[in-house]
Amino acid sequence: MNPHEDALLSVHELAKAYGSVQAVKDVSFFVRRGSVFTLLGPNGAGKTTTLEILEGIRPADAGTIELFGERTQHISSDLKQRMGVLLQDSNFEPYLKVREVVALFASFFRRSLPVDEILEKVSLTEKAGALVRTLSGGQKQRLAVGVALINDPELVFLDEPTTGLDPQARRNLWRIFQTLQYAGKTLILTTHYMEEAEVLSNHVCIMDHGAIIAEGSPAELAEALGQATIIEFRAEELPAEAGEDLARRFPDLKRRRRSIILNTRDFTGGMEELLRWSREHAFLLHNLNVRQPNLEDVFLSLTGRRLRE
Amino acid sequence: MSALCYLGFTGLLTALRERVTLFWTLLFPVLLFVLLSSIFGQVGEQGALRLNVAFVNLDRGADTGFAMAVETLFESLSVEGEDGRPPVFTLHRPVSDADPRRFLEDEQRALAYGRRAAVVVVPEGFSQEIGGALRRPGELAGKLHVHYSQGVPSSELAAGVIDQMLAELDRALLAQAGRFDEDLAVRTAIQWAGSEGHNVGYIDFLLPGVVLMAFFTTGLFGVPGAILYARDQRILRRYWVTPLSIPRYLAGFGLTILGMCVLQLTVLWPLGRFALGARVSFAAAWPAAYLALAAVTFLSFGFLVASLAKTANAGQAIANIINMPMLFLSGVFFPVADLPSVLQAMVYANPLTYLVDGLRTSLGVGAGQFAPWLTLAVPLGWISVSAVVTSRRLHWDVGR
Repeated sequence: MNPHEDALLSVHELAKAYGSVQAVKDVSFFVRRGSVFTLLGPNGAGKTTTLEILEGIRPADAGTIELFGERTQHISSDLKQRMGVLLQDSNFEPYLKVREVVALFASFFRRSLPVDEILEKVSLTEKAGALVRTLSGGQKQRLAVGVALINDPELVFLDEPTTGLDPQARRNLWRIFQTLQYAGKTLILTTHYMEEAEVLSNHVCIMDHGAIIAEGSPAELAEALGQATIIEFRAEELPAEAGEDLARRFPDLKRRRRSIILNTRDFTGGMEELLRWSREHAFLLHNLNVRQPNLEDVFLSLTGRRLRE
Repeated sequence: MSALCYLGFTGLLTALRERVTLFWTLLFPVLLFVLLSSIFGQVGEQGALRLNVAFVNLDRGADTGFAMAVETLFESLSVEGEDGRPPVFTLHRPVSDADPRRFLEDEQRALAYGRRAAVVVVPEGFSQEIGGALRRPGELAGKLHVHYSQGVPSSELAAGVIDQMLAELDRALLAQAGRFDEDLAVRTAIQWAGSEGHNVGYIDFLLPGVVLMAFFTTGLFGVPGAILYARDQRILRRYWVTPLSIPRYLAGFGLTILGMCVLQLTVLWPLGRFALGARVSFAAAWPAAYLALAAVTFLSFGFLVASLAKTANAGQAIANIINMPMLFLSGVFFPVADLPSVLQAMVYANPLTYLVDGLRTSLGVGAGQFAPWLTLAVPLGWISVSAVVTSRRLHWDVGR
């Protein structure tokens, strides 16, 4: 069944429907021990449902899960002893103190780390006596991370861990996640942020409409676009005729709201062609940007949409 | 600490830190208890009744013996009797050098404002008229003027007492004049009977009612307030991704409610006992059993309400709607009688009716309207119904 010796989790043909909507269809993947595995996709792609099945919140309609070497369809309480979960929008009792929340969650597990150690890990030692309701968004999220780590889990689920946080708070959390990775923990991440996926992941699965449409390491995925170069410029008031001409010269042109994105394997030839077009149509190339493809481009080329639309 | 104890403990902490919960579960029962007992229980006077009556004697002349006799009679009722009978009146009279007519005007105003139950005036020439009437039968006797407010209970009561006193005085005067033969009069004997055993005051009736009301509030509002709120806020979902199971969570929540009830009892019982003069004791097997049954019944009732509500706010709204009718149609505060049949039906379906009846009977402060088995069976029936509905209808996580 398990083709991968070092897989901590493998999922086979997982499916889940809500009424007539097939939220997850025949999803299969495996997660290596000690890796950071990322599910990437727009809202409604099915990544949260997939995670909720693996976290034990929802039962799957079909498919099998092999976790910690145990084949199951339902995540048991014993399996949960070895898992840590950071939910999307984690909330805690507003009238409990930070220390009390961590201690409460510690009492749910057979084995747990000392409360002070957790508070130090997520830099909340000074806030130990503060009521949850007085915490800032970033502090609340750090508390949620601390709670997810209280049982020193082997596998940690991080469902959109930095959504809505400011860049500073986001980087603080990335640092914590990287420390976990160095400690040999396995992380399963979903995110809206390409940068987050690129910084943290070893392996990325791109989901859309309930199915996995591509997977690999961030570099592998970018390479799948070929040895391409991305040329992007602003084109808000592009005359129709000039646009049609450009599409003839660059057949895989992608048009976004404000810009045009060209994907070319022959950078020199492509640039020359673009400059010629620019002269012929007297169209100035504003904000011209030349770069190597990233996950965002992979996503765009696979789905025809940007991730955060 | 085990998860169970920790859940119970943190639940209690949360409730005590939240001002609204603290008010409704602890402060409100205390305030209501003190308020009701001070209105209906005559705190500090052992249930005795004293009426404020003004007395003005305008009969100033050579022979004022009869006027003085009337004054002495009123005086005697304003002090404690030799047999320990409590005073009936607080008597207000003009100080010796004051103008009695001026005093009368002031007292009549006090009567109009409700500060006096009655104003008694002995008019000028009263003694002479009585004397004349005794000597010459058929002549009009002297008249006492009694002012009182019609329709005001204390005033009507005072008028009744004064009427009886004067009839007694009349009889005494006639006997003295030889026109009333006591031996020929038909005597009606009255046997005054108190309640058996100790006297049950309103406080003793009220205390078990207030305790049950406090328990009721905790159960009815506690479940939608804590569990539905935690569900809506996804606090529960956070628990379900740990090894914590729903039964264990429920047991922890039950401990919180139990702790709250114990806290309420430890506040209300000493308050009733030491500050308001209640004599009932809950420290016996049956009262304790009824209290425990009540806590479980109201907890299950809270779950029933929570099962019928989609959100915490809706749950609180339903609890608010049924709270007052259930309390008042149960005899918690006042005995229920003579209600229209629709309301009677609600009284008989109300588990609170049976619990308060059973608890009062077990405390010896009520005759017990229902058979003891019924006071146990009806609450147990409600617990079963609630358990079935809850297990089928209550969602433990936010749906999609």
